[in-house]
Amino acid sequence: MNKYLDLTIDEIHVAYLKKELTPKMLLDEVFERMDACQDLNCIITATKEEAYQRAEELSKEEVGGPLWGIPIVIKDNIITKQIRTTCASKMLENFIPIYQATVIDKILKAGMIIVGKTNMDEFAMGSTSETSYFGPPKNPWNPIYITGGSSGGSAGAVASRMVPFALGSDTGGSIRQPASYTGLVGMKPTYGRVSRYGLVAFASSLDQIGPMTRTVYENAVLLNVIAGFDEKDLTSSKKKVEDYTAYLGKETQSLKIGIPSYLVSEVVSEEVRDVFNHVVDLLKKHGNTVEMVEVSYLEQAVPLYQILAMAEASSNLARFDGIRYGYRIEDSKNIDFLYEQTRKEGFGEEVKRRIMVGSSLLSGENAKKYYDKALSIRDDMRSSFLAAFKDYDLLIAPTTTTAAYPLGQGLDDPLKGFMDDILVIPANMAGLPAMNLPAGFSKENLPIGMQIIGAPFQEGKMYQLASFLEKMLDLDLEGGKRQ
Amino acid sequence: MKKLSVEEVKHVAHLARIAISEEEIEKYQVRLGALYEMIDQIHEIKGYNDDMMITPFDEEPSLRKDEVGPMLSFEEVLLNAPRKNGKFIEVPVVVNE
Repeated sequence: MNKYLDLTIDEIHVAYLKKELTPKMLLDEVFERMDACQDLNCIITATKEEAYQRAEELSKEEVGGPLWGIPIVIKDNIITKQIRTTCASKMLENFIPIYQATVIDKILKAGMIIVGKTNMDEFAMGSTSETSYFGPPKNPWNPIYITGGSSGGSAGAVASRMVPFALGSDTGGSIRQPASYTGLVGMKPTYGRVSRYGLVAFASSLDQIGPMTRTVYENAVLLNVIAGFDEKDLTSSKKKVEDYTAYLGKETQSLKIGIPSYLVSEVVSEEVRDVFNHVVDLLKKHGNTVEMVEVSYLEQAVPLYQILAMAEASSNLARFDGIRYGYRIEDSKNIDFLYEQTRKEGFGEEVKRRIMVGSSLLSGENAKKYYDKALSIRDDMRSSFLAAFKDYDLLIAPTTTTAAYPLGQGLDDPLKGFMDDILVIPANMAGLPAMNLPAGFSKENLPIGMQIIGAPFQEGKMYQLASFLEKMLDLDLEGGKRQ
Repeated sequence: MKKLSVEEVKHVAHLARIAISEEEIEKYQVRLGALYEMIDQIHEIKGYNDDMMITPFDEEPSLRKDEVGPMLSFEEVLLNAPRKNGKFIEVPVVVNE
């Protein structure tokens, strides 16, 4: 019987202050529900022992801020000291890090308790989490459906309500897309807002860590904690971190909102468009201006993204060579054999394809023909977005073209994973903050989300609009909860 | 649908230092071909500006001071090495093979 786990974090905080609740009592509820959710396969490593040890330590302290004693799960490509970090790959099946990500330092300092590492697409490459070496996580709303990906385990863990918080990472929609499929609030912050130190690199110029939560408020509280400059990340911003919760509940009557026209074109299914149009009507009814806007190169965002993401991935994953850490074949007659066989056996299909294509895109003449060209068009795309933000406070769009679909549906198609992310990729290309907000349901009662995209470092304004819509829409998002 | 030649598949696999078996080649001819077909769509894009954006970050990157800080112990460095010998990580012979 869960008494506290389903409360808001503010209510949990009050229970801690009143000494009705201890971190250990809350963990009992978390692990009971995690056991009940085992079939969903959202957790790769449960950190029960470490969590109870931490609860014991916390119980000797004074109750701290709003996240003190609150459980969280971490996507398994974020490095956790002395806790196995696999990236859902055979390559790192037994990898025990000797350091940890800056975001982990920050959440621990805030008093949070890590209860597990979550399932994902191998090295975050995929859009359904089905490329995981540990098998796919399942959507708590209906376990025959995908959670989306690559942060699918993080999404499923929060959607099933085994924890209120998860950290995910988003290289081409990997926070927003699974958040959309599972009815969560998922924020990909501005590139540079959250430190990437300790995030196992997939495509360094696109990767960002961000919060996945039940509500807008809880999302803003977690971003408050993880955002900020880090000298260990070369592309970490020195801009001051605002209190994002201060934006919540503010009036939203005269916003100018743009809709990039391609993102509501015929690539989007009718039921997703219906849900989205309902939101547009709501915004107009409340005195906001909503207009179509043209942003360049969105039609070609997928191939442009493929070039950059695969090229960067091929360089980043060159470090997995079977020597210093990770998987290594038993017998190796020479060093080339060791590299080639280790990588053949250690990586899964999707990862190998992307490394192969990425390596060839960077070799010889191809570097100019593909990579340099993609970087140039990317620059134009960002300029086009920034020009739109001169006229509009925020942009909105659907997050996904459809609701979640059944497991196994796209496994043999090497392009399906990319096409699922067609609406979420542009924000990564341009380094913009973008979030998913639950907006409605499909005919099968699966969640459908929408995106709010901001100018760089405008997360506050995005939360403002999101909190307004959350209140107006007032959706019942408990459909994935396990008792 | 674009299909790579056997030689092209072997070439990209070599560049990536990933061994592939003879049986896998046909699968890669088709699946890598599909990726190239998609990527080649960018050749239709004309009239773009030549400025390149490697990373969407406008601020001046700052470097840490070049100072000696805390260091890892031998035990830590070797903890995850799959093959070790005393204080060394073991690799196949790479000189005078």
